[in-house]
Amino acid sequence: MSLFQLRVNGRLYTVDVDGDMPLLWALRDILGLKGTKFGCGVAQCGACTVHLDGRAVRSCATPVGVACLSEITTIEGLSRDGSHPCQKAWVELGVPQCGYCQPGQIMSASALLAANPNPSDEDIDNAMRGNICRCGTYPRIREAIHKAAGSKS
Amino acid sequence: MSGIFRVTRRDFLRYLGAGTGALVFGYSMAPDEASAKGLPDLDQLLDQIFHTGFPLGDFVRIELDGTIHIIAHRSEMGQGTRSTLAAVLADELEADWNRVVVEQADADAYKYGVPFPVALPGSPLIVKPEDAQFVDSSRSMAAYYKPMRFFGAGIRLVFVRAAAKKWGVDPAQCRAEQHKVYGPGGRSDPYNLLLLHARQVGVPTPEEITAALKPRKEWRYIGTDKMPFVDVHDMVTGKAVYGADKDPKLPMLTAMIERCPVANGKVRSFDPKPALAVPGVRYVTKVLPPDFQGGTGGVGAAFVPHDGVAVIAENTWAALQGRRALRPTIQWDLGPHATYDSEAFRGELEASTSQSGKTVRSKGDVGSAFASTGKVVEAGYYVPLLAQTPMEPPVAIAVYDKDKDQFEVWSPAQGPELAQHYLGLYLLEPNPLKWLVWQAERPNNVLKSCEQDNQEAFNRSLAKLLNVDEETLFKQAEDLKKSIRDRVKVHVTLLGGGFGRKSNPDYAIEAAFLAKQHPGTAIRVQWTREDDIQFSYYNAVSHQHLKAALDADGHPTALQQRSAFTSFFATLFPPPSPAFPPAMNDLLVSARAGFHNGGEYGYGSAIELGQGLEDMPYHIDHIHLENCPAESHIRNGWMRSVANIYHAFGLCSFADEMAIAAGRDSKDYLLELIGKGCVLHQKDLEAQGVKCLDNNQFPVDALLVPNSTQKLLPGYPPDTRRLRAVVERVAKESGWDEKVKRYKGLKGRGLGIAAHRSFLSYVAIVVDVSLNESNELTVNEIYGVIDCGFAVNLDRVRAQMEGGINYGLSYALLGEITVKNGAVQQNNFNDYQVLRIHQAPRKIYTYIQEPSAEVAKDYDGDVPPTGAGEPPTPAVAPALANAIVAAGGPRIREIPFRKTLQVV
Repeated sequence: MSLFQLRVNGRLYTVDVDGDMPLLWALRDILGLKGTKFGCGVAQCGACTVHLDGRAVRSCATPVGVACLSEITTIEGLSRDGSHPCQKAWVELGVPQCGYCQPGQIMSASALLAANPNPSDEDIDNAMRGNICRCGTYPRIREAIHKAAGSKS
Repeated sequence: MSGIFRVTRRDFLRYLGAGTGALVFGYSMAPDEASAKGLPDLDQLLDQIFHTGFPLGDFVRIELDGTIHIIAHRSEMGQGTRSTLAAVLADELEADWNRVVVEQADADAYKYGVPFPVALPGSPLIVKPEDAQFVDSSRSMAAYYKPMRFFGAGIRLVFVRAAAKKWGVDPAQCRAEQHKVYGPGGRSDPYNLLLLHARQVGVPTPEEITAALKPRKEWRYIGTDKMPFVDVHDMVTGKAVYGADKDPKLPMLTAMIERCPVANGKVRSFDPKPALAVPGVRYVTKVLPPDFQGGTGGVGAAFVPHDGVAVIAENTWAALQGRRALRPTIQWDLGPHATYDSEAFRGELEASTSQSGKTVRSKGDVGSAFASTGKVVEAGYYVPLLAQTPMEPPVAIAVYDKDKDQFEVWSPAQGPELAQHYLGLYLLEPNPLKWLVWQAERPNNVLKSCEQDNQEAFNRSLAKLLNVDEETLFKQAEDLKKSIRDRVKVHVTLLGGGFGRKSNPDYAIEAAFLAKQHPGTAIRVQWTREDDIQFSYYNAVSHQHLKAALDADGHPTALQQRSAFTSFFATLFPPPSPAFPPAMNDLLVSARAGFHNGGEYGYGSAIELGQGLEDMPYHIDHIHLENCPAESHIRNGWMRSVANIYHAFGLCSFADEMAIAAGRDSKDYLLELIGKGCVLHQKDLEAQGVKCLDNNQFPVDALLVPNSTQKLLPGYPPDTRRLRAVVERVAKESGWDEKVKRYKGLKGRGLGIAAHRSFLSYVAIVVDVSLNESNELTVNEIYGVIDCGFAVNLDRVRAQMEGGINYGLSYALLGEITVKNGAVQQNNFNDYQVLRIHQAPRKIYTYIQEPSAEVAKDYDGDVPPTGAGEPPTPAVAPALANAIVAAGGPRIREIPFRKTLQVV
C-alpha cells in the first residue's frame, strides 16, 4: 500500500492503496464516485471510460500508479449539471435504455468531439467501437453524437 | 408521524371470493384502535376514503404539500416501465408531472398481485402474485396499463366530487386539470386542499370510474411521443443507482466467489491461506448449497447458488486478488456433468430430431402428403447455448439481522419476489418439504384446466404425505409465504440490463448466505464478467428439423417440424431421483406438471412449446409438429424472447428455403404461407392435439368488465391477419418490390424478410445486407414493424424495436457458448463477442402498426397493449440469413453466422 494523489474532477484526493489497483476501483470503492461502471474488467466494454488529460481511457485497466500522473475526469465532472452537449443530446434523443453503459459512452463521445468537432460516421465507429451497449442503443448514440456536434449525418 | 397520508390497504385476501356484486368497503379502524396506534384522525379518515377495496395505497401516496408519489412496482431494466406506468396513472389523475415522485417498490408479490377481484368481485384475477413484479414475458403494459388508468381516474373522480361538495355545486360543473379542480365562477382548489372533503363524497363505483376515464384526445402522455423519462437525467450524469452503486449505510464488505466450473459440482477442499495473505481480505468461506438442490441425473437446482468458495474483502480489488490466490488451491468434485461436451451434444440433438418425438400438434396426414407430393424440402437448424450478458454483471447486497432472523437485500432483480421467496426458503426454511408446501395452491380461476388438474393432484398427494387435510395445507402454504415475506426485505435498484439473466436470483441468495455468517455487516457479492458468462442460466441449445412437401405450384401441402431443446424446466424442477422417497418423486413430477404445464423430464414445457412451435402460423393442410427429447447438462433459463429464438430461426429460415425451392419472391411466398389471415382459436388448436396451449396471455381486460362471470377471458389468440399486416407494412416501408428488382443487378446485395409473433405482438423484419468477395458481411439497414396492440409509449416502443433488433443481430452474428468437460469455454467479451457500434446497421427504421379495424372489432374496438421488449428479437436472425442468401451468400443454418462468414 502506498499513498497516491489523484486529481479527479478538479479536486485532489489522497488514497492509500496498492499502486496496481485499477483506477476504476479506486474511484468506486475508495472515493465513492460510482458513475463510472464496471462491465468487464479487461478493457473490452468501455463502461468504465474516464478522461485522463482529456483522452478517453478504460479505468478498469489503468492502475492508480499511472492515473495519478494525469488530470482525471469522470462522468460526475463532465459538467456540473448535465449541460455538456453530449449529455443534452443524449436526453433530447432519449438514448439510454437501461443506462448502465451510458456514462462510458458519453465519456468516449465527449473525448471524440473534443478532438474532432465534426466526426463522420466512420470516425464515430472508430471512436465508439470500444463501448458496448447490450440494449443496442447504437443508432441513437450515433445520432446524438452528430447532434452534439451540431451536424447532421 | 410523517406528513404523509399513507393511503393504506387492509389485507384484501379476506375479501377474495366475496362475490357480493358490490364493492367491499368493509374495513374501518375503531377509534380506540387508531389512538392506540397513535394515528392522527386525518390519516384514519383518508384511510377510509381510499380504502375502496382496490389497493391504491400500494400504488399512490399523496403528501400534504401535494406531492404525489407513484409507486413503480415493476423493475426498470431499460424497457421504460418506471416511466410509462407512472405516467399512465398521472395522466388519468391529471397530476402535474413536476409534482410527481416515482418510487421503486420493494418486493411484495401480494401487494401488487391479486387486487382486482376485490375491486370487482367476480372478475378474474389479473396477475398471479408470483407474476406481479416479475419483469419477464414482456407484460408490464399488458397487465398493468388498464389498472393504472383506472387508479388514476378513480382518484381524480374523488377530487372532483370533493371540490363539488366543498363548493356546493354539481360535480358535472367541475373538472380536474394538473393538480387542481376547477369549478363554476372561476373557483379552483389544489388537490391537497381537497383531501379532507374527499372523505364525504364516498367511493366511486367501478362503473363510475370507467365512465370517468379520459377520452383519447385528452391524454397528455398515453399513446403519445410526450411520455416523461424518469431516470434519463440521472443516467447521463452518473447519478443513477444500479446494484453495485447502492450504499446501504452499513459497514460493508465485498465478496467474490470462485464457483465450481461444472453444473452441480462440489468443493472437495481448499486452502484459505494464500487468499487471506492478500491485504484487505478478511474471510475465506465455502458457499454451501442446501442439501435438497436436486437429484443426480439432471441439473435441477432452481436458483440454488453454485457450490464454491467466497473471498470476502474490504474492497473489490482486494476480493479479486484474493480470489486469484485462492483459485489454484481448490479441489473440485466435478460430478456427472463433467463429461458434457457441447459439440458432441449437438450430435445428440440432431439424432433426437431425426426420429419421431412427442406430437404436440397435428392436422391432416403429413406422411401421405410427403409420399404423394413431388418436391420435398428438408433442413435442420442449430442454435447454441447463449448467455444474456447484461452490461451490469449480477450483483447483490445483503445484511442479516440475527436477533430477528431477518434479511434485507438490495438487488437489481427482474423477479424481486423470486429473490424473496427463494432466499427465504433456502436460508430461513431449508427443508425440502417446505419447498413442496410452497407449491400448494388453492384451486382458483387463473390456471388453465390442464394445469389445474395437475395442481389438484399435487395438492391431494402432498396433503396425504403430510397427513393433513387440504385446507390445512393451504393454510400452511399461506403462513409460510407470509412468514418469509415478513422476514426477507428485498429492495430493487435500477437494473443495468436484464435480458432474462436477472430473473434468476441466485446472486442475491449468495449474498444472503454470506451475510448470514456475518450478522450486521452488509455483504456485496460482485460477479465479474467471466462469472456472468460462465455461470449464466443459458438460453437453451436446440436443433430444429423441418420438412415440407411442395405441390406443382410450389405451395406446401405438408409441413413437419421437430424441435429438440434443453428445457429450462430441467433446471427449475429437480428430476425424480433414487435419492428421494417415491412419494417425493411423485410430488416433484406433479408440481412440475402443474407449473405452466412444465411437462415431463426430457421434454419442453407449455411455455416453450407455445413460443413459436404450437402456434405455427402458416396456412397449410397437413401439419405435424413434434417435441423431441433433450436432456440438459447445464443450467438453462431465459434470454430475451427465449424459445422464440430457435423456433423462429428454424421456421422463418425454412419459409425462405421453400420460397427459393418454389422459385418465388420471398415476401410474396411468405404472404401466401400466412394466407389471408385468420384467428387460431384455442379450441381449434386443441382439436389438433395441443394439450395445454400457453399463449402467454393474461386476462388483462378483466378490470373494466365489472361482474364478469367468465373464468378466463378469451385472451389473445394467434391472429395471422395481424402477422400478414406487419409483413405487408414492412414490405411497403422497405421498398421491397423495387429494391428486390434493383438488387438483382447488383452483386453481393440482398434483402431478407421474416415475421414472427411472440408475447402477443407481431413483428416483421427486413434486413438489407452487402457481401463482398472476401465473404465479409455488412448489415446496411434494417426495417422493423411491430403490432403491439395499443402502443402506450411510442418512443420506448421504438427504442425497444431498435434495441431488440440489435440484440437479435448480436447473437445471430456472434453469439455462442461452448462447453468442454462440463465447463464453459468463453471468458469475457473478447471470446463471447457481442455487437459493437461499427457492426450495427447505421439505420434501423421502425414502424408501429396499429391493428386493423377488423381486428379491433374482436376487442370491442380497443386492442390492449401487448409485449414490446422481446418481440423485436426473434425474426432478426432468420431475416438476416435470408438476406445473405439473396445477396449470393450461403444458406446459413447455424448460429453464430461468423462461423460461415467474416463479421468484421
